[in-house]
Amino acid sequence: MSAETIPSLSPRRMAWFPTRGRISWFEIALLLIACALVVSGMASSLQDVLLLSFLFGGLALAWNIAGGYAGLISFGHSAFFGVGAYASTILSTRYGITPWIGIWIGALIAAMFGAVLALICARLRGPFFILSTLAFAEVVRIGALNWSSLTGGAEGLSIMPAPSLIGMVFASKAAYAALMLFYLVAVFAITKGLEASRFGYYLFAIRDNEDAAGAAGVNPLLGRTAALALSAALTGIGGSLFAQYFLYLDPTYVISPELSFQFALLPAVGGLGTAIGPVLGSFLITPLSELLRSYLGSSAVGLHLVIYSFGLIVVMLYFPAGLAGALDKLTRRGRPR
Amino acid sequence: MLEVKHLDAFYGAVQVLHDVNLFVGKGEIVGLVGANAAGKSTLMFTLAGLRTTHQGEVLLDGVAVDDLAAYERPKRGLVLVPERRRLFPFMTVLENLEIGAYAAEARAVARQTLDEVFALLPVLAERRKQIAGSMSGGEQQMLAIGRALMAKPRVLLLDEPTEGLAPIYVKLLFDLIVSLRASGLTVMIVEQNVHHVLRTADRAYVLENGRIVMEGKGATLLNDDRLKTAYLGL
Repeated sequence: MSAETIPSLSPRRMAWFPTRGRISWFEIALLLIACALVVSGMASSLQDVLLLSFLFGGLALAWNIAGGYAGLISFGHSAFFGVGAYASTILSTRYGITPWIGIWIGALIAAMFGAVLALICARLRGPFFILSTLAFAEVVRIGALNWSSLTGGAEGLSIMPAPSLIGMVFASKAAYAALMLFYLVAVFAITKGLEASRFGYYLFAIRDNEDAAGAAGVNPLLGRTAALALSAALTGIGGSLFAQYFLYLDPTYVISPELSFQFALLPAVGGLGTAIGPVLGSFLITPLSELLRSYLGSSAVGLHLVIYSFGLIVVMLYFPAGLAGALDKLTRRGRPR
Repeated sequence: MLEVKHLDAFYGAVQVLHDVNLFVGKGEIVGLVGANAAGKSTLMFTLAGLRTTHQGEVLLDGVAVDDLAAYERPKRGLVLVPERRRLFPFMTVLENLEIGAYAAEARAVARQTLDEVFALLPVLAERRKQIAGSMSGGEQQMLAIGRALMAKPRVLLLDEPTEGLAPIYVKLLFDLIVSLRASGLTVMIVEQNVHHVLRTADRAYVLENGRIVMEGKGATLLNDDRLKTAYLGL
């Protein structure tokens, strides 16, 4: 980048509520609450919910880079998740490479998968792109199921449950929660940086009006490819963390349409194309889903899904811009425009 | 400077432009007028590399640019201000301008260009932090031109810039076009506002059903009886 910088990219003072490209006090407060919850010593089952909320918050943010900022609505992100998970697990179980390194190799491979997908399919629009991502994930899933010598096929892969720092296996759930929170904060920081960057502007431009972006000289394919590769890499990291927590990879879950839909659903509920939206979406939906399943899953089979779906419908109906949109609307009342 | 030779353009199987030939000299303002659906915007889209399939040649300083993708043409100095502005409405004025300076060459001098754009269009300086979508139509048009200027164009293509503008902004816009020419910029303008464009343009072409049917000096065409009847309602 040249030394010439337009003032819009220069640092600005902190806002009270979430604003594009700026860290707000609201987000700082949320982080402090999350840190307090990590060290609070809550019950084991609640720690599960907490760390999954952090993990899925990060994954939703990663998806949002492609879906929310670049307009690439993907239902195939579980492929990147699976690639990341398998890469770090295979490297650690077969070749003895620590997951602390394997996680980055997984991210790199996932980024390459994302770039290839973008180069092939990013010229497609709307439903055609969505279907192509679904098909892409299916190809990856079938590949994982059939390449048994590498992936363990339908049996999946297991990681030895022997706690060790080098093996990224911890005895304490609080340690996992701290790791997942770090992942969430890192992806959030990348997203915020993206929002305030020139690259972020280009993505918004491509998403909002490709012709106008092209006429202004912005290369849409390059922007989309970079966005999908970044999104895939961050999703791959999430996949590796997932593998290190559950210590088992089931190909029918880690590369599945259900998981892909979950990645897309959280930003949709929280607020597409915003940094705080996917976090709010995950903080609402993940606990709701997990708690309903644990309290109602065995006593009234299916009832938790009914309540969960009803909650989603209510949010979608009454908050079309997501929770972030509702928060923005609420806080805007007291703010000068 | 900008030369179009035997250009045919198509939307699918439908041919919209037929053997269009035109020339825009350095530092000229050249108008293109015609009725609705004459193919004016299609010609602009084709020159900017957006969407249409075509045959024929588009040359900029003698170098063919018609095989270049849309995003590559601003790097060569050919920049379109699209019809209906097509701003990025949720971004600020400054962010919209930032996007205009995409190419490395334009980015290297972005700060200086920004100062020039603000000097030329003070309303943008005043509203630099305003969300583009909240500006009036006239201000948005100024921003669209400002965004194009950030790319350091050599030829500026203006597609229906006065569409939906209040008369005060129409006058301001044509004054701006004249001052852009004075600064050495070459301008090609497509307009339905025939009277204004012919008074401002050095030369103009008349497009009818995708074919160039007349050309000449702006003032000459303004007094042409056929044009008066067809487009000026006189």
